[in-house]
Amino acid sequence: MSSVTAVAPTRAALDETAAPWRRVPLLAIGGTVIGGIVLPLVLVRLDIGTYLITLLILFFIQAVVAQAWNLIMGYGGIYSFAQVALFAVGGWTSGVLVHSLGWNPFVAVLFSPVVAAIAALGIGLPTLRLRGVYVVLLTLAFHQLARVFTVTGPRFISGGGYGLVTVQTFSFGDNVIGDQRTVYLYYLAGFMFAIATFVIWRVIHSPLGVAVTALRDSETYGVSRGINQFRIRLLLFVISAFFTGLAGGYATHYNGGISTTIFDFPRIIDLLAMIVIGGWGTFGGPILGAGIVIGLDQYLVALGDYRELLLGLIIALIAVFAPQGLWPVVRGLYDKYLAPEAAPVHIEVSPTAPHDVEKEL
Amino acid sequence: MTLLVQAIWGGVLFGAVYGLMALGLTLVWGAVRFLNLAHGAIFTVGAYAAYWVVSSLNLPILIALPFGVLVAAGFSYLMHLGFIRPVLGKPGFDNSTLIATVGISIAVSAAAILIFNPEYKVVPAVVPGYTVISGVQITYQGVLVIAVSLALFALVFLFLTYTRQGMAIRAVSQQMEAASLMSIPVERTYGMVIAISGALAGLAGVLLSPFFFLNPNSGFNPMIQALIVTIFGGLGSIRGALVAGFVLGIFESFVEVYYGVAWAQPGVFVLIILMLILRPNGLFGIGEVRRL
Repeated sequence: MSSVTAVAPTRAALDETAAPWRRVPLLAIGGTVIGGIVLPLVLVRLDIGTYLITLLILFFIQAVVAQAWNLIMGYGGIYSFAQVALFAVGGWTSGVLVHSLGWNPFVAVLFSPVVAAIAALGIGLPTLRLRGVYVVLLTLAFHQLARVFTVTGPRFISGGGYGLVTVQTFSFGDNVIGDQRTVYLYYLAGFMFAIATFVIWRVIHSPLGVAVTALRDSETYGVSRGINQFRIRLLLFVISAFFTGLAGGYATHYNGGISTTIFDFPRIIDLLAMIVIGGWGTFGGPILGAGIVIGLDQYLVALGDYRELLLGLIIALIAVFAPQGLWPVVRGLYDKYLAPEAAPVHIEVSPTAPHDVEKEL
Repeated sequence: MTLLVQAIWGGVLFGAVYGLMALGLTLVWGAVRFLNLAHGAIFTVGAYAAYWVVSSLNLPILIALPFGVLVAAGFSYLMHLGFIRPVLGKPGFDNSTLIATVGISIAVSAAAILIFNPEYKVVPAVVPGYTVISGVQITYQGVLVIAVSLALFALVFLFLTYTRQGMAIRAVSQQMEAASLMSIPVERTYGMVIAISGALAGLAGVLLSPFFFLNPNSGFNPMIQALIVTIFGGLGSIRGALVAGFVLGIFESFVEVYYGVAWAQPGVFVLIILMLILRPNGLFGIGEVRRL
């Protein structure tokens, strides 16, 4: 009889390697959040503090876009180059609502992720049944069409070819001006960044994320296990577009306008550099990359046109020789010195994970 | 009548141009299965090399043309050595090369700004002059481009069909492992294909720059058009690239002449989307859609 109790279903603890989200380092996350809240209050008292806060705001915006792109490029294996265009869709949505219809920016910005997600559905439905090259082409086509439309489209969109140059910025009441306003903008951006990061982290560690990585690493196996590839990729694409559009809407009201120069190459180059340098197909990579590229930007700008040359070469070299970027280095340091307990062997699936080479070559 | 002649002339010219660009792209795709997003950059490299010979050394364009082609071929061979060969046959090959070629094209256009400057350059036509047929200017350079494009299609086709190297390329593209067991040097074959494709892009660059002018990003649009043509005709199919080049060129030209320039690019995009829905493998592709 005693054997029955022994057999009775005491479910074994889920292997932590298989469920890394179970091992949440509360101290590290709590520390980061509190640090993020206190930081601007300290920085405002410094001389260059305001500048540093604006850099951080820029970092939040770019990190959201980079993470969203990484979600589909790195994890989903969808080679979409429509990221900047979706950012622009978000920006223009909110911009037009405020500029032409006189809405409050705080309300209008809520519509930009929705419209960007709808646009993503529009691109995704014909595109995502196809693979690799076709996705590259059709998303580039969407980018070009969006550019043409914003330059030559109706006047309330094109603003006469320059974009929307005077859009009302976020206002927090008449008393909140100067440094105080910058701090509020910082909190808003930080809040957006936190939500996007949390949702993307949850998506990656949800059944959806597992299905996506399974498809990326061995499509044949994933499909034969009953994963509906098209639906999964479409869902991922829409989630990614949602946050890209949100960042676009915020950026429009932060900068007080959105210009057609957003479609130029340097934007795509910066985003790509963030993803590739930080680590492609890793969770923290794009955040790290955004931090590096934005943090070094003032030094890079001093290089003039050498900046682009350098970034291009770095992207090419990292893509070929270290496809995981810098993230494994940071991750290793963290596990060694800061992790709460002896960390389980960390398996970060990446673009170098074995593909079924037979099918793809 | 003038409109009709203009539409047809423009269409045939565009078609030849697109075909010329798409030929190199489809060759690399067919043989190595890698999407060369640096194709536009190589186009620019060839054009700038020719421009440099003409403007700095004051030599005639007839000497600059082969120089530009050679530089473009050399550049793409170096790209193969540096960025393609290290990951050949490794897992993640397509990811790495896709991103690497984007990086290379960024670096090339930045280098072009540094060495020359962002202003528009004029590369002289190989054969200047024009004749007028019912009110439409027919430039001799245009006639040359059409002739060269057709001749190159024929040459590449003959090369692939009848020479030993051509057969090696086809063998490698069909079954890399089997080819290497037959002691075909796979890596060298890949290098050769990439260099040939670079030479074709460079030639296109030198010949087309008199029409479009030359600036550091001028390779981008021809590359997009070449991608469209390649997909429309069927990836990896040379016949497809030829036919699709003319079909799309003439379609675009008619839209441009009868509905306005603004509708040309959207029209082509709508056409390609319809094509992908109706016949995802392109005109002459066979089951390639599952690849990459």
